[in-house]
Amino acid sequence: MASTLRPYLACIRNTLDAAMCLQNFPCQEVERHNKPEVELKSSPELLLNPVLICRNEAEKCLIETSINSLRISLKVKQADELENILTKKFLRFLSMRAEAFQVLRRKPVQGYDISFLITNYHCEEMQKHKLIDFIVQFMEDIDKEISELKMSVNTRGRLVATEFLKQFI
Amino acid sequence: MTCIERASPALNQILLKLYSAEKPMEIDHHLYEFGSAEYHILSEASDPRVAFLSISTAPLCPGVLATNELSSYTIEMIKALCPAVVEIAESRREGYQLTLKLNLTKIPRGKDYIKVIKEISTVHSVILSSQLKEILWNFNSDNAIKGMHKPIKLVYNPREPFFVIRQPQQIIAVFPIRFAEKSDVIISTAFFQELVDVGSSDRYAKAPPCSWSAIPPPELRGEAFEDLSTNGGFVSFDISSHHVDGKRLDKTVWNLLNFNAYVRYHVKITKGFIQRRMRKRLENLVEVLHHRESLEQDNEQITRHQDAGCSCTKRLVRSSKYSILKQRWGNLGRKLKRIHFRLKIQGFGRFRQRWLRLPKFSSREYTKLD
Repeated sequence: MASTLRPYLACIRNTLDAAMCLQNFPCQEVERHNKPEVELKSSPELLLNPVLICRNEAEKCLIETSINSLRISLKVKQADELENILTKKFLRFLSMRAEAFQVLRRKPVQGYDISFLITNYHCEEMQKHKLIDFIVQFMEDIDKEISELKMSVNTRGRLVATEFLKQFI
Repeated sequence: MTCIERASPALNQILLKLYSAEKPMEIDHHLYEFGSAEYHILSEASDPRVAFLSISTAPLCPGVLATNELSSYTIEMIKALCPAVVEIAESRREGYQLTLKLNLTKIPRGKDYIKVIKEISTVHSVILSSQLKEILWNFNSDNAIKGMHKPIKLVYNPREPFFVIRQPQQIIAVFPIRFAEKSDVIISTAFFQELVDVGSSDRYAKAPPCSWSAIPPPELRGEAFEDLSTNGGFVSFDISSHHVDGKRLDKTVWNLLNFNAYVRYHVKITKGFIQRRMRKRLENLVEVLHHRESLEQDNEQITRHQDAGCSCTKRLVRSSKYSILKQRWGNLGRKLKRIHFRLKIQGFGRFRQRWLRLPKFSSREYTKLD
């Protein structure tokens, strides 16, 4: 793991640990409704200050908390054009299959690549520390996957180029 | 990769079917293929020994060749394809450039017939190669003497024209690259960088040097704006004399004609590869989440068991030896099933089923002892 990635992930883990104290809270606007307050943002007294954790300009994580829900938005590093399209393709692919993850948001928050929405029900169904582990592992895996994909595409390109030039010899 | 093969796969298949048919077959097929090629195959049941193959192709260089007729050089090349079997028909079919009479009885028996039919199926590539060779020999010779090297625009696929510039020492082939999607452009650009990199290595010193640039090369100065507007840049190959001597000429010409198709095929396959990999990764990520959930459920069950510890012990004490053994084997079996094998060994599943199967204990079945 890169030397700067470890403190970045540790910081996110600690922040999530502190922020993920969610409880059931019915909607104040509509009777018998229970909505994630972090999405509605109708009652400012139910919202906490958002926390922005940046590894660098291209890589950051926004954690928005409310009384009954938590929203985590991630911006993944994209060093060049190839990484850019691979990241977009992969995260779009995941977002389209958000139902498989339960906590994944179908549309990322503006300015970010992918967003998660965790409600108090998720915390009840799945344990808090397990959810945090999952988010952190997800971040690690995405980075690793994008790097591996980029390497594979370049390796394939090299092999195909070699095969093409072989035909002339 | 079918469009990159020299032999037309569809034509090859039809001719093979016609040749190996036990009963005389009536065939009247029209085929349209990559590179604006059109075939017509006619075989009558009354005369099964003969088949007529008509072919029509778009001119490779519309501005240079005034007529759509095939030149005598091209016809000679086709005749040389398989002289015993192929014969040029005197009257060609209307709308086609050439009609060939195939004497099927003269195709050798045994395994050789596949080779001969495959060779006949390369008729389109022979026409294209000979046309390109002819263009390179004849065109521009006056200008070359004067020191002017005007690019020749070749249209193999109507949407993907490319340019050939004849110079005293070499021939430069320039391919303008266009793609509809941005992702295709990026994948192809990565490929071109690798192509340039591999081409400049010592191992491929004999291959034509290749270069890629985002702007049109100076040789194309003065060409039409629509031909020079690209989003994937320009790839150039410098073909020198040793790339076109003897048998290499055909290979070089065919590779140049199909370079665009080759790049497109690579981009398409790479996108498929990315998709497959993403799907696999999604499964792994979901597995992580569900694995955690199942672990939590297991933990919950364990705590429940611990809470009701006394009753459990009582039950164990009360149960018979059969049921105790059955329960123990069952627990062990469940644990074995839970082991997640990261490495897949072929045939291991069968081995496990046969040798690592747990014995079944049933209280109902028993054998009577004498």
